[in-house]
Amino acid sequence: MPDAQGSAHLRLTIVGIVVLSLFAALTSRAIYLQVMDSSAFQVQARENRVRVVFEPAPRGRILDRNDQVIVDNRVANVITLSRDSAVKNPAVIDRLAALLHIDAQTIKARATDVRFSPYTPIPIVDEASEEAIVYVREHQDDFPGVEASRAAERSYPHGTLAAHLVGYVGKASQEELDARKGGNYQPGDEIGKGGVELAYEPWLRGTPGETRLEVDSGDRIVRTLFHRDPVPGHDVRLTIDLNVQTATEAALQRAMNAAHGSFDRNARKSFVAPGGAAVVMDPRDGSIRAIASYPNFDPASFVGGISTEQFKALSAPEAHAPLNDRAIGGEYAPGSTFKLATAIAALDTHLLDPRTTVVDTGKYTLKNCLGDRCVFHNAGNEAHGPVNITKAITVSSDVFFYGLGAQFWNGRATYGDAIQKEARALGLGTKTGIALIGEHAGRVPDPASRLAAHNANPKAFPNGGWRTGDNINLSIGQGEVLVTPLQLAQAYSAFAAGGKRFVPRVASDALTMTPNGPKIVATFDAKPIDSVALNGEVVQPIVAGLEGVVSDPRGTAVNAFAGFPLSQFPVAGKTGTAQVRGKQDTALFAAYAPADNPQWAVSVILEEAGFGGSVAAPVARRLFDAAFGLTRANTADVVASGID
Amino acid sequence: MLASRPQEGRGFLAAWRHADHALIVAAMAVAALGTLVVFSATRHRLKAQGLAETSTVSKQVLFVVVGLAVMLLITFVDYRNLRPLAPYLFIGTVVMLLAVVPLGTNVKGTQARFDLGPFQFQPSEWAKIAVVICVAAFCAQFRGQLTGGQIIGVLLLSAVPIGLIYEQPDLGTALVFMAILLGVLAVGGARPRHLAFLAALAVTAVVVVLQLGVLKAYQLDRLGAFLDQQDSAQRVAYDVNPAKYNLNQSKIAIGSGGITGKGLFKGTQTNLAYVPEQSTDFVFTVIGEELGLMGSALLIGLFGFIVWRIWRAAATARDLFGTLVCVGVLCMFVFQIFENMGMTMGIMPITGIPLPFVSYGGSSTLAAFAGLGLVLNVGMRRFS
Repeated sequence: MPDAQGSAHLRLTIVGIVVLSLFAALTSRAIYLQVMDSSAFQVQARENRVRVVFEPAPRGRILDRNDQVIVDNRVANVITLSRDSAVKNPAVIDRLAALLHIDAQTIKARATDVRFSPYTPIPIVDEASEEAIVYVREHQDDFPGVEASRAAERSYPHGTLAAHLVGYVGKASQEELDARKGGNYQPGDEIGKGGVELAYEPWLRGTPGETRLEVDSGDRIVRTLFHRDPVPGHDVRLTIDLNVQTATEAALQRAMNAAHGSFDRNARKSFVAPGGAAVVMDPRDGSIRAIASYPNFDPASFVGGISTEQFKALSAPEAHAPLNDRAIGGEYAPGSTFKLATAIAALDTHLLDPRTTVVDTGKYTLKNCLGDRCVFHNAGNEAHGPVNITKAITVSSDVFFYGLGAQFWNGRATYGDAIQKEARALGLGTKTGIALIGEHAGRVPDPASRLAAHNANPKAFPNGGWRTGDNINLSIGQGEVLVTPLQLAQAYSAFAAGGKRFVPRVASDALTMTPNGPKIVATFDAKPIDSVALNGEVVQPIVAGLEGVVSDPRGTAVNAFAGFPLSQFPVAGKTGTAQVRGKQDTALFAAYAPADNPQWAVSVILEEAGFGGSVAAPVARRLFDAAFGLTRANTADVVASGID
Repeated sequence: MLASRPQEGRGFLAAWRHADHALIVAAMAVAALGTLVVFSATRHRLKAQGLAETSTVSKQVLFVVVGLAVMLLITFVDYRNLRPLAPYLFIGTVVMLLAVVPLGTNVKGTQARFDLGPFQFQPSEWAKIAVVICVAAFCAQFRGQLTGGQIIGVLLLSAVPIGLIYEQPDLGTALVFMAILLGVLAVGGARPRHLAFLAALAVTAVVVVLQLGVLKAYQLDRLGAFLDQQDSAQRVAYDVNPAKYNLNQSKIAIGSGGITGKGLFKGTQTNLAYVPEQSTDFVFTVIGEELGLMGSALLIGLFGFIVWRIWRAAATARDLFGTLVCVGVLCMFVFQIFENMGMTMGIMPITGIPLPFVSYGGSSTLAAFAGLGLVLNVGMRRFS
C-alpha cells in the first residue's frame, strides 16, 4: 500500500515539526530564564537563603562640660515576636496579650507594621516585668517566636533637666528612614528626634551589629555567613554646666510661679505667664552654659514609644506647647533690652555726644506732627528729669531714646538705617546657626522690608511707608522687631566681648570611652562670626549705664540685685518690658558679668509676666549666684519689685 | 535474506547489529545525569533526617540498571510477536489498575501504588507501555485508513484505563495517555476532519471542566499559579499557595543558575531545600541551578537526539504496527519532557509527571527504559 505508507510519512513529518517546535519553546524559555532574567532570580535566591539580623548599638551618652551624665543608657527587658511565627501561630498573639495585659489588636497591628523587617523580631513591649520574662522563658513551647531579651535604652538621671536641649529619641518614622537611605538604619531603629539627640545623631548613634544567617526552606539556621558586633556610639560632651542649668531652670520655674501669683493692674487679673526661656552663654567663645524653656517635658516619656494622645498633649496650644523650645524658637518684642543697639548706633555714628543731656518730662512730642499719634510716653508716664545716655539706660528713659529714633529718621540721608545695622551686627534678625533644629530668625524691620512686605501682600500689610513714629518705636524695641532669647543672649555676649560674636555652641566634643580613659574623636570648635570692633568711646558710657541698672538706686533692676556682691562681680544688664497688643507685657532681662571681665551673658524672657525688672531680672540674679558659686551666706535673697 | 524469518535466538544477534546503539548511549547519558542530580537533590534532606546521603540515589542507580535489563529483555522478543498479545495486555492492565484501588497504598493523596516492601509498584506507569502496544496493534490492522467508528472504538477502549488513572487521581498521567492516543491516531490514519473534531472536543472538554468547577482546590491553585506569574518576585509562603510557592522557587532555582550554573552540589536552592518534590517532578531545577543553561541545553539536546532517533525508527519501521509503536513511545516521551520541563519553567501548568530517565522513581524509570526497548526492538528489525 504505497498510499498508506506515503500518508504515514507525511503524518510523521507533521509530528516531527510539532516536536521540534516544542523543543524550541523549551530552549527559548531556558535561555529567557537563565540569561535574560537570571540576575533578578539570583537576587531572589540570595534573599531566600540569607537573613540579615541587626543588633542596635547602645547610643552614646550626653555629658555636661564636667562629664556629669545628663543622658544615660539603661538595660531594658524587651519582649519581641517573630512575624513568621505570628502568622503561623495566631494563638501566640492572644497568649501574649493576656500575659502582658495589652490588647491583641495592638500586637497584631505591630506584627503587620511594614516598618519592621519581616526577619527581625518585632518589639512588643520595651519594659516587661521580670515575671513576664521568666514566664515566657519557662513556657517557650507556648510562645513560639517570642523572645525575651535585654536592650539598652535611654535614661535620664536628672529627670526633665535640659529636656529641650537634649531632645529625645524614638522609633524612626518612614520619612526619617527614607531620608537616611544607605545610612545603616533599619525599621524599628531608634533615632534622635530633637535637640542634641537629633543634632549629634551621627556621633551618638553607634554602628549596629550585623549577622548574616543562611537559612533553609524551613527557616532553620544552617550557618552564620557574617557577624559584626555592634559598636556603641560616642559620648557627646556639652558646653552646659549642670549646676548653672539646674539653677536656671529652678529660677525660671520660680519666676513663672511668682508671675502667676502677682496681679496685673492693667489687665485686672493675674499674669498668665504661659511660657518663658533663659539662655546663659560664655561671651568669650559662644558656649552655651545653660538653656531652658518653660513649660518643659519629660524626655523619658518617649522611651519605648509615646502614645498619640501623650504626644498631642505635648504640642497642644492649651498646654502652651511644652515641646516648643522657646529659647531658640520663641520670637518676642525685645522692649528696652533693644536700647543697646540704639545706643551703640547713636554713639558710633556720633549722632549723640555722650555728655548730651535731655530733660525727660515723661513724654516726647513729635515735631511738625498732626493727629493723635504724635505724643510718646514713658512707661507709667514717669518723668526722669535731666538724663544723658548713661542715665537714660540706667533708668530706662524712653523719652531719651525716642529723641534718638526721631533724629536718626530725620538724618537718614546721613545715617541710613543705623539702628537696624547695629542690631544686625549684634546678631538680631538672623538665625544664630546653633546646631539645634527649630531655631527662628526673629525680625529687624526697616523701610525696605516694610515696603517689600506691602508689595508682596498689600492686603495683609496695608501700610508700606515708614514714618518717624516707626523709628521711635524701633528705638525702644517695640513695633515689629522680634528677637529670640538665644539672639538676645548672643547680642549681649557680643557687646560684652567688645563686638566679637560667635555661633552659639552646645557641644564641645565627641568622645569614646577606652580602657585608658576617654578619647576625643571629634571637636566642635567655637566659630567666630564677622565681628565689629567697638571702641571705648562707644562702649564706656553704655557699660556705665548697664551697670547702673543693677547698682544705681534708680536702676530698674536694682532690687533684684540687692545684696549681690557687685563690687566683687560687677553686673551689666538691661531690663525690658515689652508691650504686645492683646496680651500682658513680656518681661525681659539681658545681662553679663563680671562687667570688667565678662564670662557669663544671660537673657531671660517671660511671656505675659509683667516688669522685666521685677520678674525677669531675679532669674538672672539667681543664676549668677549659681555661676559665681554664691550661697545664701554671701548673697541676699531677691527682692522683686521695680518699674521699666 | 528477506524470504525466511530466522529463528529467535540467532535472529536476535543478527538484528542486534542493526540496533540503534547511539540511542542507548544517549539514554544512558541522560540517566547518568539524572542520578547525579537526584543525589544532589536528596543528600542534604536525607542527612537532615539522619539517613545515609546515598540511600535514595543508590535505589535510582538500581532502577537504571534494572531498566536497562528490561530494555534488553524487550528487544529480545520480536515486536511482531507482541501484536497478538495485545488483548491480554489490555485486560491485565485494567485488572492491575482496578486492583490498586482496594490494595494499593495512598501516597500524597493518590491511590496509585502497590507497596512491595522497600519498593513500590505503580501500575499506571506500566499501563502507558501496554496502551502504546494495544492502541498501535488496534490501529495497525486497518492499514492506515481509520473510520470514525474505529476511532470511537479506540477512544472507548482507552477510556477505561484513562478513567481509572484520572480517578486515582493522577491527571498528569491521564494526559500522557491522551497524547499517546492523539499521536497514534494521527499517524495511524485518522482523517484530518476527525482529528479536527477530536481537537474541538478536547477544547470543549477543557472549557466544560473549568465551567463546571469539578477541578479540585489544588488543581485550581496550580492553574492559578501558572496563569498569574506577574508577582513571582513576591515571596509566596508555602502554606498560602503550595503550587505558587513551588513554581516561584522552581523558577528562582533555574533562573539563578545563569549560563554556567552554581556548580554541581553547590546550588543554594537545592541544598537548602527550597524546591519541593525536587528529586521527582521538579528534578530539572537541580540541573538548571547547578549546571546552568549549559546543563539545560545539554539535557534538551540529549532528549532531542533521543526523540529524533525514535522518530527515525518510526519512519523506517518495517510495518505500520512498528511505526505506531514508535510514535506512541515518542508521544509519551515528548509530552512528559515538554510538560515536566515546561512546568518547572512556568510555560505549562503544574501536573505530577516525571521527567523520563531523570526523575527519581522505579516504575517511571523502568517504564521509560521499556518504551526505549520497544523502539529499539522495532528499529533493529527494520530489515527482517
